[in-house]
Amino acid sequence: MKPASMDAVFQALASTSRRRILDIVLGMPGCSVNDVCKYFDTSRIAVMKHLRVLERADLIISRKDGRTRELYFNAVPIQLIYDRWTTEYSALWASHVTDIKFKSETKKSKKKRPS
Amino acid sequence: MSETVKQVFRVTIQASLQEVWETLIKEGEPLPFFFGSVLHTPGLQPGAPIRMRTPSNKYTGVVGEVLDFEPPHRYSHTFKFTNLDDPLCKVTYELKEVADGVEFTLIAEEVPRGTKTEKQMSQGGKIITTTLKTLVETGKPTFTARMIMTIGGLTEWATPAKCLSSNWPMDKQLT
Repeated sequence: MKPASMDAVFQALASTSRRRILDIVLGMPGCSVNDVCKYFDTSRIAVMKHLRVLERADLIISRKDGRTRELYFNAVPIQLIYDRWTTEYSALWASHVTDIKFKSETKKSKKKRPS
Repeated sequence: MSETVKQVFRVTIQASLQEVWETLIKEGEPLPFFFGSVLHTPGLQPGAPIRMRTPSNKYTGVVGEVLDFEPPHRYSHTFKFTNLDDPLCKVTYELKEVADGVEFTLIAEEVPRGTKTEKQMSQGGKIITTTLKTLVETGKPTFTARMIMTIGGLTEWATPAKCLSSNWPMDKQLT
């Protein structure tokens, strides 16, 4: 992955609104710009601007289907970043560590309050 | 909400169109980006069957039929995991020349929503795309792909009997 492409991905991800757009598109593959706009109070222009940043980073792919544009989430740039920093050992231990985190956090939230 | 899902995976590969195309359709040797399976086909052309088999030939993981074959830009086929009972879906590979190499897009369509096929496809799509890129650019598959190939080789004995290649001959009608 070229440094410029990696910069584009991190810049695109460094925004709450853009991460929210990724969640929306991930949950609704093939949705339109209008569908995304429904989730925001801001102007359509503002949403379009965020979408352009995400498209430049290849995190969102827009495909023409007849007269409409369909949006898809592309997980590949994130996978490339994962592969870039993950070696045989760190993959094993990092996943153990995240497992412990997720399991203990779920337990904690399930735990009843002491009477 | 529709019954099927479309998934798109894209990456830019710094190589020539021909190089990427030839790597994608290589026959007779394990393909790291397809989890170490070997492509078997009587010849890639519309209507021809394809079978992705383990290097030992004993098991078949994926079966399908070629829909479109337009070298070196587009190749699509029907797709089914032999261990699952989900209906066929469709996979398309698109190659486009861009300024810094080849834009490779993998599209999975008509994937039945909420099935194991959907889950495996969304995991698999990422790995196929990144491994193809790394393999073409460096000559070596990614760590993730190497690990999957090693585990696959070690656990072949645990593959379900319905994946036996004898159950998936070339002339079997796929539904």
